[in-house]
Amino acid sequence: MPCYRPLYRLWRIAAAVLMLATAAYAATPEYEIEIRNHLFEPDVLEIPANTTIKLIVYHRDPTHDGSGSFELNREKDIMGNSKAIIFIGPLPPGEYPFFGEFNPTTALGKIVVKGDDHAG
Amino acid sequence: MLVNSVIIVLREVLEAALMISMLLVVSRPLEIRPRWLTTGLAIGLLGASIYGHFLDPISSLFDGAGQELLNAMLHLGLFATLTLSVFLIARQGNQPCKNDSLLPKVMATAIALAVTREGSEIMIFVAGFLPLDNFMSSVGLGSIAGAAIGCSVGVLFFYLLLAMPARRALRIALALLALAAAGMSAQAIQQLIQADWLSVAGAAWDTTRFVAEDSLPGQLLYALVGYEASPSPIEAVIYLASIVLMALSIVLGSKVFRLESSAPR
Repeated sequence: MPCYRPLYRLWRIAAAVLMLATAAYAATPEYEIEIRNHLFEPDVLEIPANTTIKLIVYHRDPTHDGSGSFELNREKDIMGNSKAIIFIGPLPPGEYPFFGEFNPTTALGKIVVKGDDHAG
Repeated sequence: MLVNSVIIVLREVLEAALMISMLLVVSRPLEIRPRWLTTGLAIGLLGASIYGHFLDPISSLFDGAGQELLNAMLHLGLFATLTLSVFLIARQGNQPCKNDSLLPKVMATAIALAVTREGSEIMIFVAGFLPLDNFMSSVGLGSIAGAAIGCSVGVLFFYLLLAMPARRALRIALALLALAAAGMSAQAIQQLIQADWLSVAGAAWDTTRFVAEDSLPGQLLYALVGYEASPSPIEAVIYLASIVLMALSIVLGSKVFRLESSAPR
């Protein structure tokens, strides 16, 4: 029926926008690290240059901790036995150290950004 | 662990203590009863306990961005209340302020927000180590020392400003308050970036070579004016815009005051 056509078109546009949004969301690569016995595992994480990544930090210790980095301008508190999500990037190639805020002497790690600086 | 706890607690306490000192100095000529301070502290401690206790459910809100969004809101609220305080103080000039007027309430809100934000981090930190056997000998003692040092620096800063000629002290405190408030709005932006609600590439500049953020002067500057060694362009713009807004509210505030006082009764 002709009177439904504008509505149908709107629905199609909405569906397309939704699909694009999901695609963009899915395109954010995910990385996982663990904090166990106040140590990061792995303690070196390689990520591509000029890309936003989603970092999921699983905290396996019963005590709380924070995850922070001066070079990355990131800081987040993480409760014991839980997980946290932190978005990082887009970053130029290089090394970015991070640390467990409540155990900064032992919980050390770094993110190595690899790839072509001009890409993307 | 002892030294770590001193540093962690000191960093949080220092920020709130310096802000309280500045507000005390700028509101001194107005002869306000210090009830706003105790009220703000009490509400802030309550807020910090609630935030610390519910950190886990808060964190998982909004696809894991709950913590960032709440922090951003606290920081924006702080910026708004500090700006409004400065405007009201400037409008008051040297006239004593009524104790039931808006200004004490706004300042109490600012203190409550600051203590909620900084206090929750301390609560989370201390609570996490509470089950340890040697808690009092390491984390407990360190936290008490950190809090004591932070408060002492705040008191010292207050008397340092008081020792100056009143006019100069007021100007310095107002300028520092403007910078601190700008730091708050920049931190709000920082939290939104971390939550991926804002996307930015790269830093506007990097002054780590001159003052590293993890150095002592860096930490002090961070607590005082929200120093960031490698801010993103949007943070820098927001920081500058906030300073302009603050300067405008001081100028507008004192203009209104002058108009009112020069008008015939």
